[in-house]
Amino acid sequence: MQPSAAEHMGTERRDALGRLERAGKAFGSFTRAHPTGAAGGVILCVIIVLVLLANVISPFRYDRTVARQLMPPLSHATIEEGRNWFGTDELGRDVVSRLLHGGRVSIFVGIMAPLIGVAIGTVLGIASAYFSRWFDLLLQRLVDTVLILPAIVVAMTITVAFGFTVPVVIMALAVSYSASSVRVVRSHALTLSNMQYVEAARALGSSDMRIIFRHLVPNSLPVSMVLIAVSVGAAITAEAALSFLGIGIQPPIPSWGNMLTRAQLNFDLAPHIAIAPGFAISIVVLAVNLFGDSLRDVLDPRLRNVR
Amino acid sequence: MWKYTLRRLALIVPTLFLLGTLLFFMLRVLPGDEALFITSGEESVASVEDLERLREAWGLNDPLYVQYWRWLRGILQGDLGYSRYADRPVWDALASKIEVTATLAFLSVVVALAWSLPLGIISALWRGSWIDQTIRVITAAGIAMPNFWVAILLLLFLVKFFNWIPPILHVSIFDDPVTALKRMLFPALVIGFRSASTISRMTRSTMLEVIGDDYIRTARAKGLGPYVVTMRHALANAIIPVLTMAGLLVAALMDGAVIIERIFTLPGLGQQIVDSTSARDFVMVQGIVLILAVFMMVWILIVDLLYAWIDPRIRYE
Repeated sequence: MQPSAAEHMGTERRDALGRLERAGKAFGSFTRAHPTGAAGGVILCVIIVLVLLANVISPFRYDRTVARQLMPPLSHATIEEGRNWFGTDELGRDVVSRLLHGGRVSIFVGIMAPLIGVAIGTVLGIASAYFSRWFDLLLQRLVDTVLILPAIVVAMTITVAFGFTVPVVIMALAVSYSASSVRVVRSHALTLSNMQYVEAARALGSSDMRIIFRHLVPNSLPVSMVLIAVSVGAAITAEAALSFLGIGIQPPIPSWGNMLTRAQLNFDLAPHIAIAPGFAISIVVLAVNLFGDSLRDVLDPRLRNVR
Repeated sequence: MWKYTLRRLALIVPTLFLLGTLLFFMLRVLPGDEALFITSGEESVASVEDLERLREAWGLNDPLYVQYWRWLRGILQGDLGYSRYADRPVWDALASKIEVTATLAFLSVVVALAWSLPLGIISALWRGSWIDQTIRVITAAGIAMPNFWVAILLLLFLVKFFNWIPPILHVSIFDDPVTALKRMLFPALVIGFRSASTISRMTRSTMLEVIGDDYIRTARAKGLGPYVVTMRHALANAIIPVLTMAGLLVAALMDGAVIIERIFTLPGLGQQIVDSTSARDFVMVQGIVLILAVFMMVWILIVDLLYAWIDPRIRYE
């Protein structure tokens, strides 16, 4: 007998509620098993909300001189109304406003670079394991070569060549993450491609593309997700390093890295402009790492040595 | 064993070849060339004809494959080329810088190991105690803090309280070891601190895995002292994954050197590669990268050989 429309809606509603309840339970058990990971996740969410609301909550514009240069924290702004809670920088701009707007750029780059890099690395790594022979050989040599170079040198060459814009910086960092993830995903996919379901799919006449995208990619996703999670912290630091050296994100766009560029010159007068951006980076990276480590334990404990 | 070592050493050559070739063409994508960057000063700009004459004289107008072949032939004869920007052979320009970076790298590794192994072992032995908690907080912070920020804060501290600023003049470690080492100490501490955090966490977790094993209980049961049990039985088995980490550490070290050398005004390879890339001094960049690559591969080989020395079960064919 077909269920009536009303009954059908009822089951759907119950399903949704059940799903919500299960999600709540999963979150609860994650929190109990990994309190530090949950704390990291919460801190991260709060910071992301704060930087997304930068336009609304920052007291001043990030690119406008609002007071005298290098004013200490808690001083009153002299040109515009308000208070500089964390002082002003070498051009008299409000540090808090710049932190919020800079955080947008830094966190965006920090998430996008591993996301794109690992996505490319996952597909290449699976293809490398699946096709083996010359494709595998060639790709592995290429990966070895890229990994020998210090990541910052690779990124530097790319940004100097293609310009110091946000998309270029993201791609420059993504190259290193794709190279390192090719290795991990490949070794995982090697065991996968010997599984019976792959053999069954091939026996049913599935094409290579179908096997790769319908069977191998979904089964490698936990590995890729862990790789992304443990790389975000490093990516935020790497972006900061590039921008600090003046070969990453360029002023007037603020990033936590380029906010530190001139801090070294103003040590004596204004230590606060050296402390604030670095502190922001450290907190975010710490939160990301705590969360990433717990996620790794949940999704795939065998990956404990990855990084 | 010897055969294995020789084969690994031989493998360095094709990797270097691939790396050099890749880099050669990658760098040629960069807009602008040496002629443009050398002649453009603050107020003077060379005329188009002058630029063309320079390019012709330096062979920059030749097809890429001719330039590549010229460079490759030089490399095969052990000649890294002539840097027009620095106006001297690359080897000459880099000799003192290699020394600086190598010393810095060596000191950083010493700092990292000296600080991380004891911390990791203590943390594992007194698992869950306040001392373990403290160490875990310190190491988590050590990984989270960007090393260039730590360097800036350290400098701030040194300037404020000890009136110490990084000296401008470079002193060779062969002429005046004490002064040179004093200079390197703080940068090495910064680079080492970061790597130490990673290694000590690793040491802790592998020690914890090993400590629960049967042979540790046996060792205790037959009356061996805690020191012998920890060092000879537990650590010897826990150290293998830690060594792998130390092998990868050299990459992190190079990343660190690029920035830390700049902050502490150390005239090393890291500082040079940033300047040379910005100035389109391609020959110099290629030279530095090849030197770094050789350094890296030899390092990884040494780590691999150390495995066999520490763990007799590992045999290389």
